[in-house]
Amino acid sequence: MNRLKILRSAPSTFSGLPFRPRASNALPLFRPSLQNPFPIQSQTSPFSSTACLLKRKKQRVKQDIRVRHIKFHLAHPITPRPLRFSRHRALRHWTIHRAWHTHLSQVRRARELDLERQYESMKGACEALRTLGEDGIGYTIARAPEPNEDGTVPLQKAQEGGEGLVVIGGSGKGEGGKELGRLYRLAMEKKGIWQGVPIEYARIQTDTPGREGWDHGWKR
Amino acid sequence: MALRDLSLQSARSLRKSSFPRSFRFRYNVSRNASTTTHDQDLEPSSSLSIPAPSSDLVKDFDPAERARKRRAELGRELPPSRYRFRSPKYYRGPLHPHQPPPPSDPTSRQFIPGPFSLPRLEQTYHSTIAPDLMTLAYTHFPPGYRAPPKAPRLRSWDETSPYHKNRPLRAPRGHTVLPLLRPPITWQNVPRLERVTVHAMVREALEDKSHLHVARMVLQAITNVRVTTHRAKGSVVGWGLREGRQVSVSAEVNGGDMWDFVGKCVDMVLPRIKDWQGVKGSSGDSSGNIAWGLGPADVALFPEVEVNYNMYPPKMIPGLHVILHTTATNDREARLLLSATGIPFYGKQVN
Repeated sequence: MNRLKILRSAPSTFSGLPFRPRASNALPLFRPSLQNPFPIQSQTSPFSSTACLLKRKKQRVKQDIRVRHIKFHLAHPITPRPLRFSRHRALRHWTIHRAWHTHLSQVRRARELDLERQYESMKGACEALRTLGEDGIGYTIARAPEPNEDGTVPLQKAQEGGEGLVVIGGSGKGEGGKELGRLYRLAMEKKGIWQGVPIEYARIQTDTPGREGWDHGWKR
Repeated sequence: MALRDLSLQSARSLRKSSFPRSFRFRYNVSRNASTTTHDQDLEPSSSLSIPAPSSDLVKDFDPAERARKRRAELGRELPPSRYRFRSPKYYRGPLHPHQPPPPSDPTSRQFIPGPFSLPRLEQTYHSTIAPDLMTLAYTHFPPGYRAPPKAPRLRSWDETSPYHKNRPLRAPRGHTVLPLLRPPITWQNVPRLERVTVHAMVREALEDKSHLHVARMVLQAITNVRVTTHRAKGSVVGWGLREGRQVSVSAEVNGGDMWDFVGKCVDMVLPRIKDWQGVKGSSGDSSGNIAWGLGPADVALFPEVEVNYNMYPPKMIPGLHVILHTTATNDREARLLLSATGIPFYGKQVN
């Protein structure tokens, strides 16, 4: 009681704290710890008189909100339910599906046939070059090369032909001259092919290609 | 509507026959106010004036019998008019009576509508690249040519030692396994792109899983396919790797997505990488699969990442390995295909 009187008289002198605006009828009971000789140590929860031990909070790394969003959207079970079609819609879908696949197979077949046509014409051209006479007019017929014992003909032998060439048309020359088969040999060369396609040529088709095919003067 | 028509008809007939108007009739008229004023605008003919079906039609009408006949003709039931089937959520094996429908069926859970676009690179391949490759790699075999028989690829042991008995055949010369055969390129086997594997090993995921999530999201955004996560097969002490921890993500890209992905790389990503020389010439597994790597800064150049760059924590964007699987059986042809696609190579080319 005595202490209360003292407090009432001059509370700010006891506090030892910087100036605090003083309420006129402030009850001193509101700040008992200032003068309490047995202060409650580290009280954290209000209306509790027991001291709770302060566990050191684990240093949690704060996760980026973006990572949280990414995790949420990756794990979110938004698998759509399967479509439900009634009889007519199912039949319509089936018809369109079959038609589309028929169309795809036709396109694939057309592509394959086109490639085959190109291959065959290439083959014919190379064969014509191979059998071309020395003067470029007549053509030679290579005699069938002698096969090996097992009936096979090696590539070199087949390309060279058998003993002697029969020359038909032209000037009649062609008995193993230097010019014979020169074009064919050139055509068969594979020099520089495996170095790759030049980058100016290897470009993906576009709707709006540039007017200049390639800007050679470009620098970063 | 039919009821209304009926009342109209009856009203008209009643008026014609000068039948005294009953209360009920008046009630009808007042309810359908238009009947009196706009009578001439209405269609005089109605479904009631259509003659009844002929007697033989009526006699033959048996829908159950018709359905049975149709079933017998088709050999199977038509799809029901109402939804009945529910595709099983989980595949319970080939012996389970409840089998899922094929993925092309819209009732299937694997059904993906589409395709909705025709990738440019695919068109370019079919119109330009494939004929070019076929022409470049053409080898001429004169008519009458038959390939000489080759020695068996797996050599047998010379029986100089008694320990040679019952041994498996010797490995081929210069290899521990049989290398793929290389048939000459014809119009039937022009090398083409088969699939693309995009793979990222995220070492930071050992400490912080969020790196893995970001890598999954980046891969999914780039490739448009669902990403698979992989666990470490074994422990490597030096890397801090422990067995069973999730460390890497990969995506298998096929079909249209694959063409789109490669097209994006060629057109938008690879040309913008700083000081990029190209893919190393020694890359490849000598059976037609070629790979290269992209750093985190290069992955940020993908348009899907670039437009939404703030969505990803910038330090968590992973580097990638891109592996192109081709149908070529050796690296030389695969490299020719890729260079025709627009991927440059540098350095010594190793086959």
